[in-house]
Amino acid sequence: MYYVAIIATLTTMALALIRALLGPSVYDRVLAVNMFGTKTVLLLSIIAFLSGRPDFLDLALAYALINFIGVLAVLEFFRRGAIRKASNNKAGD
Amino acid sequence: MTFLFSAFVLTLLVVTALAIVRTGNLFVAIMLTGIFSLLMAVIFFLLDAPDVALTEATIGAGISTVLFLGALALTGEHERTGSTNRPLALVVVIATALIVIYATFDKPRFGDPQAPVQQHVAPWYLEHTPESIDIPNSVTAVLGSFRGYDTLGEVFVVFTAGIGVLILLGSAPAMRSGKDRTRPVRSSEGLRHYLIPRVVGRFLIPVILLFGLYVQFHGDYGPGGGFQAGALIAAAFILYALLEGKEQALAVLPRQVLTALMVGGALLYGGVGVASMLLGGNFLDYSVLTSNPITGQHIGLLLIEVGVGATVMGVLLSVFHAFAARGGHEKC
Repeated sequence: MYYVAIIATLTTMALALIRALLGPSVYDRVLAVNMFGTKTVLLLSIIAFLSGRPDFLDLALAYALINFIGVLAVLEFFRRGAIRKASNNKAGD
Repeated sequence: MTFLFSAFVLTLLVVTALAIVRTGNLFVAIMLTGIFSLLMAVIFFLLDAPDVALTEATIGAGISTVLFLGALALTGEHERTGSTNRPLALVVVIATALIVIYATFDKPRFGDPQAPVQQHVAPWYLEHTPESIDIPNSVTAVLGSFRGYDTLGEVFVVFTAGIGVLILLGSAPAMRSGKDRTRPVRSSEGLRHYLIPRVVGRFLIPVILLFGLYVQFHGDYGPGGGFQAGALIAAAFILYALLEGKEQALAVLPRQVLTALMVGGALLYGGVGVASMLLGGNFLDYSVLTSNPITGQHIGLLLIEVGVGATVMGVLLSVFHAFAARGGHEKC
């Protein structure tokens, strides 16, 4: 049961990794990384139960909380890039 | 079965590492570094090292992505392509790789009980943790008490790295206040106009802070401790800065406070060592702190973990603000 879940999660991780490697657009990669993070949370939880130490769920919790910050940082990065581009264009005019 | 999973995850890790080296787009490299760190943490977890995995989770997957993006905002998105045709370098790399691979043949088999690492001091630590420190998590016992010197050294390394970054990026408080006046307000508004991240973030920040405090004070009993907690709490404040803008974040936690945390944490750790010396023990021998040696160990561990957490949090947030201030300054 746990093994099937782990294999399914690992397959999804491999697929997400392929998407992150191939791209082609930036948003594909951002989504792939986000997906990868979610799958990591799942995988850690399953392994924690498989090895009979559910107290290690702490770790999965940390991932779930932290994952969001990276995505927000990417969003902020692109927003700033867009502002900079706009102000550069204005300077060019 | 676990062996197969580990092998699969390691393969993914190698693929990711090769892709990071191959790509010329630095943004893609940062995204892939995030994946690399997640895979690394899974491997640590599979190897039964949850403390390290937790550190990798908080620092690698969370904060370093933010710091890398901050650095990327200061530079260009594309790697400068140099000459790729260097036969001598290729020969050196291949030769080194072959030597390293050859050296691995002499390593003990994975999990071998006869391996030197299982024979040396590790059994002694595991044996003496219950009687002399009496906490369930022997990793914390080794880090904080048996090898307290090493951890003190690590804290000073983190501290020195933080000071180095601050010197390079030049964010002395006096200089900053001068710049702040000239900076347009527009650059500092963060993601304030995006409703969904804001609502979710508002909900998440207290949870992350609470979890950080739990990791800080639960380090004796489960995976965690000062390093991880400092990074988690710093992550909460970075999230706040992303959502509400850097000025707001600095108003909540000014630079002086961050510097004080940075210095105070390292001082607290060193101070515990000096206090135990003054009470007649060795440096960082917490047993003398109270009349009962085990209670003394507990108090000493608690204090040094707080010191580690404060330093890590202060350094990470200072570095984040140094990058953010540079980015905002360049724009105007």
